[in-house]
Amino acid sequence: MVTKEWKIEAFKDMVRIRELQDTVQQIYREGKLNGHIQTCQGQEAVAVGAIRVLSKKDIVFSNHRGHGHYLARGTPAKKIMAELYGKVTGTNRGKSGGMYLVDVERGMMVASGIVGGSICLAVGSALASQIRKDGAVTLSFFGDGATNIGLFHEGLNMAALWNLPVVFICENNQYAEATKKEEHQKIKKISDRAISYGMTGVSIDGTDVIKVYETVKEAVEKARSGEGPTLIECVVYRLAGHSAGDLGAYRPKGEEEKWRETHDPVKIFQTQLFSKGILSQAEAERIVREAREEIEEAVQFAEESEEPPVETACQYVYQEEN
Amino acid sequence: MSELTYIEALRAALREEMRKDRDVFVMGEDITRYGFGVCRGLLEEFGPEMVRNTPISEAAIIGATIGAALRGMKPVAEIMFVDFILMGMDQIVNQAAKMIYLSNGELDLPLTIRAAEGTEWHGGGCQHSQTLHSLFVNIPGLKIIIPSDPYDAKGLLKTAIQDRNPVLFFEHKQLYTQKGEVPDEEYTIPFGEAAIKREGKDITLIATSWMVRHALDVAEEIKDKVSVEVIDPRTLVPLDKNTIVNSVKKTGKVLVVDESPVTGGVQGEIISTIMEEAFWDMEVPPKRLGSQNTPVPFSTLLEEEVIPAKEKIKKQILEMIQV
Repeated sequence: MVTKEWKIEAFKDMVRIRELQDTVQQIYREGKLNGHIQTCQGQEAVAVGAIRVLSKKDIVFSNHRGHGHYLARGTPAKKIMAELYGKVTGTNRGKSGGMYLVDVERGMMVASGIVGGSICLAVGSALASQIRKDGAVTLSFFGDGATNIGLFHEGLNMAALWNLPVVFICENNQYAEATKKEEHQKIKKISDRAISYGMTGVSIDGTDVIKVYETVKEAVEKARSGEGPTLIECVVYRLAGHSAGDLGAYRPKGEEEKWRETHDPVKIFQTQLFSKGILSQAEAERIVREAREEIEEAVQFAEESEEPPVETACQYVYQEEN
Repeated sequence: MSELTYIEALRAALREEMRKDRDVFVMGEDITRYGFGVCRGLLEEFGPEMVRNTPISEAAIIGATIGAALRGMKPVAEIMFVDFILMGMDQIVNQAAKMIYLSNGELDLPLTIRAAEGTEWHGGGCQHSQTLHSLFVNIPGLKIIIPSDPYDAKGLLKTAIQDRNPVLFFEHKQLYTQKGEVPDEEYTIPFGEAAIKREGKDITLIATSWMVRHALDVAEEIKDKVSVEVIDPRTLVPLDKNTIVNSVKKTGKVLVVDESPVTGGVQGEIISTIMEEAFWDMEVPPKRLGSQNTPVPFSTLLEEEVIPAKEKIKKQILEMIQV
C-alpha cells in the first residue's frame, strides 16, 4: 500500500510531466523548436508509477517518447528542455534533440529513436547484472508499435530463456505513429505475447498510477530475486499527436475527446485524491502552478543557454584513451 | 614461440583475456559445439555463464552484448558467418556506433564483435561467403580490424577486447587453419599500425586478410622481375596512413587488394587517402582489385572467377611494372 505522501509526490511528478509536454508541444508549434519531438501526454502514470519502484542502482532503457521517464527519474527539466533546444547545457550537450536523451548518473541509458531499438540492450544490461550478481534490475520501455519488431521477439525470448532481471513495459497508447493498434496487430492484449516466450505477461490500466506501481513492483521484485522477466502492457491513449507538430488528422473525429474523458491519468488521479480528501483544490492548483513555473524556468534556461561549441561536433565519436 | 593456427591464436587471446579480466565473456550461436570452433574448450575452463550458446538471434546477440558493454562488461560476440551480422545491423549502426557520442563520452562501449567473412573452402554461395567489412568502414564510431595471420589475430583481438569502443573484428575462413609463429609470452598489437609484411622497392601492394597470403605468394614468385613491398593495414579504422603513404612515395606505384566488391569498397578509400598525400609521387595510376560486383556464386569455377586471387594480382602487377 502506498502512503498519502507517496500519492502526492506521484501526482506532482505526473503534473510536471504534463506541463513539460504541453509546453514543449506549444513552443514547438510556435516555431521555437525543431526536429523530431514526441510527447507523452496520457502516459504520465506509466512513467511515474514504474520509475518510482526503482532503486538507485537500477537501469532504464527508454525510447523516443521518453521525456516522462527521465523527468520521473530526476533528470532536471531544464536539462531536458535545453537538449530540445540543442544547447550545450542539455542532457546530451545538443547532440540528441528529443529522441536520444541520456542521464548516466541516474541510470538512464541512451534512449532509442529506432522503434524497438533498445529492447535487446536492456536484455544485455540485465545479463550484466546476472553475471555480476549486482542485484540491479533493468526496465525497458517501448510502445505498442515496437511489439511488431523482430528485436522484441529476439530480446524477450532470450531474456526468458536466461531468466534475466529485466521488466518489459509496453506503453500501448493505441497508435504506432499514425496506425491504429487494430490495424497493426491482430491480438487484442499485447501481454498475450509473453506466453510464447514462457514469460509472465499482464495487461493493466496504464492510467492508474498506483496499479502501475504495484504491478511493476511485483515484477521488479521477481526479477531481482532471480525469477526472470515480465511483460507488462500498460493500456493508455496518446493524448497527443505522434510528434509535437502532429495534429492527429488521421484519427476518427471525436476519438481523442472520447478517450480523454476516460483515459487522462492526471485528471483521474486528481479526482481520486480529491474524493479521498488527500488533496484540496487549492493544493492541486499550487502543484500545477509550481510545475508551470519549473517548466517556464526550464524554457528560459534553455533559451539563455549557449549553443554547443562547433569543435564539439566531432568530439566523442570514439573514446580516445584506453 | 609456438606454431599456432589462426583459430588457436584467437582462442589463446580469448583465454588470456578471460583469465585476467572477469568482465570478459563470449556468446554466440553454438560456440561450444559447432561452427568454426574458435571458442571450443573455453566452456570447460570458464563455465556456461561466461561462455554462452545463444538462440539463433543475431540481433539479440549483438544488442545484448551492447547492453552488457554499456554496463562495463567486455563482451565478445561471435557471429558465425558475417552474412548473419546483417540481422543485427540496426544494433551495430544505430545503437553501438552512437552510444559514446550521444553520452559525450560518459559511456564506454567495450564490445568486440567477431565474424567470419570471405569465400569458403568453396561452396558457401552468396549468403555464406560475403566480404562486408567495407560497409562498416563508412560508419563513424566503429573500429574495423582485419587480421591476416595468427600473430596479428592474437595481438589485435587482445587489443580489441580491452578497447573502450565497439570493435568489429573480421576473420577469414580461409585463414582459420593457416599456421604461424606466435610468441609464448603476452603481447598486444595497437590499432592503427600497418605491418610491412615484405619489404620491396618497385611497387606497393596493399593487401588485407586472406589477400595478404596471395600477395606474399605473388611477391615471392615474381621477385626476380620486380621487388614488391607488401603492406597489411591490419586495421581499416583507424587506418595507418603514414606507413601506406610513405611506401607509395618510395615506390611510386600502388595496387590495393581486398576481397570486398570493388564498387564502394575500402580499396577506393585507401587509394583516395594515398592520392591526397602522394599524388605527385605516382608514376602510374593506382589500381585496385576486389571481388567482382556480383553475388558470390556456388560453383567453384565461378567462385574463383569472382574473387581477386593470385593470378589476377600477378597479372595486374606485371602490367603496372611494364608501363
